Amino acid sequence: MFEQFTDVVPSFFGWLNQGPLTLTIFLHTVIILPMIFIYFQEKKRLENEK
Amino acid sequence: MANKSVWNDNRFWRRSATWVTGFASILLIWLTFDTSAQISMGTNEDLQNGVTKRVPGPTVINYKITYEMSAKRGHEVPVIGGNDGKGNSLFQEKEKFFGRDDWSEKEAREMLHLGKLGSQAKNCMDCHTLLGNGAYYAPDLTKAWLDPAWGPNGTMQAITNKPTKEEAMAEFLQHPELYATHARMMPNLGITKEEAIGLVAFLKHMSSIDTNGFPRNFGKMKGAINGK
Repeated sequence: MFEQFTDVVPSFFGWLNQGPLTLTIFLHTVIILPMIFIYFQEKKRLENEK
Repeated sequence: MANKSVWNDNRFWRRSATWVTGFASILLIWLTFDTSAQISMGTNEDLQNGVTKRVPGPTVINYKITYEMSAKRGHEVPVIGGNDGKGNSLFQEKEKFFGRDDWSEKEAREMLHLGKLGSQAKNCMDCHTLLGNGAYYAPDLTKAWLDPAWGPNGTMQAITNKPTKEEAMAEFLQHPELYATHARMMPNLGITKEEAIGLVAFLKHMSSIDTNGFPRNFGKMKGAINGK
């Protein structure tokens, strides 16, 4: 699943490009997780407004 | 009033869009700076001190360049001045380029500059590909210097009647119409001798750039990798 970092120069973007899962996990972490957080915040706000 | 769904709520979508756009902008700005650092050219000191750069300094034309399989990285990498046995460059073994292996950084830089301008003026990319840019009407030139056809056992030195790779390439560039190598013959573009030498230096330098194994099919050419 995770492979050894093999690019010529160590770089964050090189790490993202090492395999399909590294990019997927990264994008889910920075897009989907905050959206879930925002979803529950807004849900709570709508319930309080009622 | 009926229960209001979060999915129909403006604020949810606005906040999500703001987050994703803002984060992507920061990431792209970071990527720009990261890329600039990676593609900046090395120096003569880097080569002398054995520092591996993705784009080596212009004096790399003084060194022997080979293309070898790196087991660690899973593709071929340019090896400059000899292999340490693990696929890393030693920066020791020199190779004469037009009779000299002591081209100064200034001379080498001027040759590469002339070659780059020549490649743009003659529009090589109309038919060839350089570092992923261009066409595939004619062969990919990214690793052309390492193409075994130009090597000591290849045909090009024989048909151009020149003793070295660089002289054969320069001769071909000046009179491509004399050497039919392909059904799609290269036209005579009026390249002068000086421009041809610059173009060959440009090609030799380009072959030393670590392109993460691009073009992928180059390694399948007989004789291209480890001389096999």
